[in-house]
Amino acid sequence: MGATARPGFERVRRIPLVLFAALYTVLAGGPLLWVASMSLRTTAEIFKDPYGFPWPAHWEKFADAWFKSNYHAYFWNSAVVVVSAVALVTVVGAMAAHCLARYGFRGSRLVRFLILSGLILPPQLVILALFQILLDIGLYNTLTGLVVVYVATHIAITVYILEGFFAQIPQDLFDAARMDGYSDFEIFWRVTVPIGAPAIFTAVTLNFIVLWNEFLFAVVLLTDDDKRTLPLGIMHFTGSHQLDVGMAATGLMIAIVPIVVLYALFSETMIKGMTAGAVR
Amino acid sequence: MAAISVEKLCKRYPGAAVPAVDEVSFTVADREFMVLLGPSGCGKSTVLRMIAGLEPITSGTVSIDGRIVNQTPAKSRDIAMVFQSYALYPHMTVYDNLAFGLRRRDVGRAEIARRVRAAAGKLGLTEFLERKPHALSGGQRQRVALGRAIVRDPRVFLFDEPLSNLDAALRVTTRNELIRQQQEIGTTSIYVTHDQVEAMTMGHRICIMNRGRVVQIGKPLDVYRQPADTFVARFLGNPPMNLLPATLEVDDARAVARLAGVAVALPLGASSSLAPRAGREILLGIRPEDLYEAPPPGTRESFAPLPARVVAVEPLGAETLLMLSPEGSADELIARVGRETALRSGDRIELALDTRAVHLFDAATTRAIR
Repeated sequence: MGATARPGFERVRRIPLVLFAALYTVLAGGPLLWVASMSLRTTAEIFKDPYGFPWPAHWEKFADAWFKSNYHAYFWNSAVVVVSAVALVTVVGAMAAHCLARYGFRGSRLVRFLILSGLILPPQLVILALFQILLDIGLYNTLTGLVVVYVATHIAITVYILEGFFAQIPQDLFDAARMDGYSDFEIFWRVTVPIGAPAIFTAVTLNFIVLWNEFLFAVVLLTDDDKRTLPLGIMHFTGSHQLDVGMAATGLMIAIVPIVVLYALFSETMIKGMTAGAVR
Repeated sequence: MAAISVEKLCKRYPGAAVPAVDEVSFTVADREFMVLLGPSGCGKSTVLRMIAGLEPITSGTVSIDGRIVNQTPAKSRDIAMVFQSYALYPHMTVYDNLAFGLRRRDVGRAEIARRVRAAAGKLGLTEFLERKPHALSGGQRQRVALGRAIVRDPRVFLFDEPLSNLDAALRVTTRNELIRQQQEIGTTSIYVTHDQVEAMTMGHRICIMNRGRVVQIGKPLDVYRQPADTFVARFLGNPPMNLLPATLEVDDARAVARLAGVAVALPLGASSSLAPRAGREILLGIRPEDLYEAPPPGTRESFAPLPARVVAVEPLGAETLLMLSPEGSADELIARVGRETALRSGDRIELALDTRAVHLFDAATTRAIR
């Protein structure tokens, strides 16, 4: 009797956990499902029945958003800005992380502090200064300026993720490479980068997701419609007194889908890379 | 091949109260296998890294074939090193690990392939060339690490405790393999270890270090038989040498070490050299294998009786270790006797101490008295 009661008792013990997980899933996933539903309905249908099922599904709204509401331009701008920024911040951040992890040079503690202090500064604190600086150097309202800002504001998190991982790579590997005649850069390229690939991939994915959804810097530093990135695309559907809810939802889905697909494909690898430094 | 000379080598880390390496000097002849032996933290690996060029030298010189190489970068010293952790690149196959060093030195692909396959064949790695390190056993990884050094065909091999990560059985077979390889290739080698068995069996000479300093250099058996001080005496030998406090009594006829109420007559002829130390406190050293339950036949005059009480008995199968306490003394000593002993804890015994094997050490300086 004791043996059969135990599995049942375990199932009962799990009920609160399952209920919590279900509730959290509804709270987190519910809004996304709702937006997805609205993206296939017209604004009139939504106002008539906010939570209704999208039937008939208006797939033509996506084509309208893409071609008629300039979303193809916003998508291209986002792709150019985010891919450029992520590539640059990964290269620079990986090199910085390698130096901080491997070399005990004079002032390294100060350098580390200065870089990582970027983690504690909220973007709202620096936005005005950035606005003025970009204006002064002629990069205001340019995609290049936005790329530079994204690189500068995400160096900290990139170095933070990578330094911890790189520091765990055994020093013997680097000593062996030095004795084999490889230079510091060759050692970085041939040893650190391949071994640190999981962490680099994590940093790339994390930065991509964050920058793809970035709104504050983009809305302040870009004014021309043809330079807007996807998160700003929703402004296309806002008037002074009203919001085209249906098209806004469609625009949001165009912005969200690439990230959802990316995360669904690589979330496990990303989590492994993030926790690699936590467990020895 | 090359001869190495280390002269008054020092390493002091910033903020450290004492140097990690303190005026270490020794030479390694061409084709010699020198073992640096000492406890963890004694500075032996630091010395090795300074010879390799991986650690800056605070003062002193390292010379290879008479040329000082202090400022020569590691890659230009023509030295190959086998690391404790093997230092195999996890993202490369065994073939690529072996070839990695050669590719940087502009060796042609055909020559690389020839050298890699020759080394792999010699070390039994041919079937593993396309595997990655994570798919290898500890012994196989160790052979890859050795192979990576062999393919370089360097003037000097440096080994930094390469067997310490292996289990006991594998350590024995790999040790023999290393000895065979070194005899076959004949490259000048410096081997760092804290394992005295490796030191005794592998080295032409051993250099014992303690607290950053060289304590004694010599052939393994010479160092074992004539330790320079109590540290060497107890570091070499398992169980370690027994050290018993005694007082030296010397007259014209004889010299005697008095301990625990017992007079141990020292070998004839010792009285003249020991006369200046008469009346001083000394440490009498005797190895466990030089203590007997009874003197062997015909040797009684060379043995001194030492009454003792058995504290514990450890039967090891091939032999038995007795933990004993001399009568009237709180000291403890260990004797190694035959496996058939009938002694039990609490028994009283008159140990036979081989006076020919006694070592004397100055109690104040711990240096051997010769």
